[in-house]
Amino acid sequence: MKSPVSSVTRPDRYRDQVGFDKNYGFMKEFRIFTLLLIVTILGYSSCKTTKEETEDQYGKIRIHFEHRVDNQSLVTDQMIYENAAGNKYLVNEIQYFISDVTLYKNGNTHLLDAWDDIHYVDTDIESTRTFAIRDEIPLGHYDKISFTFGINEVKNQSLMFVNPPESLMFWPELLGGGYHYMKLNGKWLDTLDQISPFNFHLGIGQIYYSFPDSISSYVQNYFEVELVDSGFELQIGETLDVTMVMNVENWFKSPHIYDHNEWGGDIMQKQDAMRLGCENGWNVFTIEK
Amino acid sequence: MERNCLNKNGCHFYGAAFVAAFLLVLISCSKSDPESPYKPAPYLIEIPFGFPTNLNIPSDNPMTVEGVELGRYLFYDGRLSGRTHPDSLMSCASCHRQERSFEAGIDHPDFEDGHPHGLSGQKTHHVMLPLVNLVWNHNGYGWNGFLYPGNPNDKLQNIEDFVRLAVVAKDEIDGDTSRVVNLLQSIPGYPELFRKAFGSENITFNNIERAIAQFIRTLISANSKFDKYMQGKVQLSQSELNGYVLFTTEEGADCFHCHGGFGNPLFTTNLFYNNGKDTVYTDPMDRYMVTKDPMDRGAFKATTLRNIEVQGPFMHDGRFKTIEEVIVFYSHHLKWSPEVDPLMHHVNKGGVQLLPFEKEDLLNFIRTLRDDEFLSNPAFGKPDKFPDEQ
Ligand code: HEC
Ligand code: HEC
Repeated sequence: MKSPVSSVTRPDRYRDQVGFDKNYGFMKEFRIFTLLLIVTILGYSSCKTTKEETEDQYGKIRIHFEHRVDNQSLVTDQMIYENAAGNKYLVNEIQYFISDVTLYKNGNTHLLDAWDDIHYVDTDIESTRTFAIRDEIPLGHYDKISFTFGINEVKNQSLMFVNPPESLMFWPELLGGGYHYMKLNGKWLDTLDQISPFNFHLGIGQIYYSFPDSISSYVQNYFEVELVDSGFELQIGETLDVTMVMNVENWFKSPHIYDHNEWGGDIMQKQDAMRLGCENGWNVFTIEK
Repeated sequence: MERNCLNKNGCHFYGAAFVAAFLLVLISCSKSDPESPYKPAPYLIEIPFGFPTNLNIPSDNPMTVEGVELGRYLFYDGRLSGRTHPDSLMSCASCHRQERSFEAGIDHPDFEDGHPHGLSGQKTHHVMLPLVNLVWNHNGYGWNGFLYPGNPNDKLQNIEDFVRLAVVAKDEIDGDTSRVVNLLQSIPGYPELFRKAFGSENITFNNIERAIAQFIRTLISANSKFDKYMQGKVQLSQSELNGYVLFTTEEGADCFHCHGGFGNPLFTTNLFYNNGKDTVYTDPMDRYMVTKDPMDRGAFKATTLRNIEVQGPFMHDGRFKTIEEVIVFYSHHLKWSPEVDPLMHHVNKGGVQLLPFEKEDLLNFIRTLRDDEFLSNPAFGKPDKFPDEQ
């Protein structure tokens, strides 16, 4: 048997090379012992008498993300949209985090997946558009689904995502750190009839003593979204597929009319603009079952 | 599902089968060990502070100490051209020089203005890319990313393939793979190194590719002044700090979305953008060549800014000779076209409009990304002796 060689890719499994080499014989024995153990356990568990299958008491939920403008599927890079302020615009890409998915049953809440449920969605990366929630969810009727748009201040810690694509969402330390809640990148036709880029980026906002050098405080800006008409019935053994739609035009619509001509191409250091965006976020998402 | 045991004997049977399997494992281990001294040691990559944990190491080319050692010889050995005449030697290191972060550098003695040419004299299509932290690139190698994991063309997927392309390309080593294999096979020392690394003295071009790729994956730069600052070990000067603020703010120089920062210490996204240099696009080897998306015309990889100070000339066509010129470009000379990336949101103002002292601060910050340890680390440098000189 050839000794398998592998490179260790996780920081928690560092071993310095010399030590690893010296221990090689031990490692091999250890591996064999582990194999023995596994097979023994397997054998043992297969000997146990059948117990009531408990899995069936639960169901699962899988969320699919879709992006629409004016009720049509998003078409990128074409200047075919017009927002409530009358800006003609195109969308190039949308990248965002949702977290803390919560189910409501008889007035009680049920937080899903605790710490791990920060999910990244990217219109350019197909695999991010499905979020299979790991939790086994007790059967029955649920009244409502809610989630946090962005990441709350307890969880939003710099360097918690070191791998792309999530890591590419980092929000600069000086501006509050953590991660962008959203990058919505596109272009609009400005008052000079020029096609101008806009980066509708949401994340931690800053209040300045004197711009841009001196910051007095930060504003978290994440918000909770309660999905209208999101009650559902979970049946035995079922995986409920839910489609969550981002209706892009609503970011610019109500209660505030958001005008790119007023705010310009970048808003990460303009809390007034980010506030409008966040307050408009309440009805951006809708759900379909 | 019926998973329980039907009767006691059935279970005993499983147990017996297992013991047999266990014995087999034991026997096969003890039998092959004394016969085969081929036992390469795993080469472990330590993840530096803040760096991604996902590495791009193909499963059929695991990193080993022996593979990396062999790769280093090959990377530096001019006989990789398959020829022995002193004028016909060329290796990867003829263009990829350590002190230039494995670019050629604008001061390369053989190349005019840092634009390399191959053995045949033909110029390369683009100027150099550095070989630094490539083990974290999953999106594509080359200025337009034409080599990427998952490419339907399985000959254009990873660094291994770049080795072959560099050896045969007219504008690079201009060699012939079987000549290279035959020459190396005849050089004392190499067959033994191949056996240690891959288990056979019979040299194959595939194993040449694997060894050099392994060496390139060890070229990690993570000990610049900025890295130490990230870890709280040193303080930046006031000017460097001002530059850092400019680098990572939209109202400042606005570089971080494409070139990284604290949360992305690779200082590249390894993604492709049109950064507003031109209005017409004539280079057929841009990102559009790979994606066929018309919006990708004129787009190239946002290269890492680590060690950028010792590199150059800059941009895929080497149009800028100094970083100062690059900063002036991003400040005042951006050009609008339909293809310009939305992240270049200052484009209609011509740029980020840095004032002279801000340009200086930004440059001072960029200099903190220079990693002298990397640029002089003997493990990455030319070996003292080649295998036949030992
Ligand atoms: C004649 C000069 C020259 C030689 C010799 C050369 N290269 Fe390069 N190398 C280049 C140039 C130029 C590029 C940029 C290619 C492009 O994308 O247009 C490059 C790019 C690369 C890249 C891609 C880096 C990235 O970030 O995507 C790798 C990997 C590479 N070379 C490996 C090698 C290896 C291995 C050898 C030796 C077998 C070698 N090169 C020899 C000039 C050279
Ligand atoms: C929209 C993304 C984007 C932004 C923002 C951006 N760059 Fe770049 N940068 C690129 C791309 C893409 C290239 C390579 C372009 C090419 O070769 O044609 C590049 C190239 C460079 C290079 C030359 C690299 C080399 O190896 O030749 C330097 C230096 C550089 N950028 C610095 C900066 C600085 C400083 C800023 C902020 C003022 C900045 N960039 C902002 C995308 C960007």
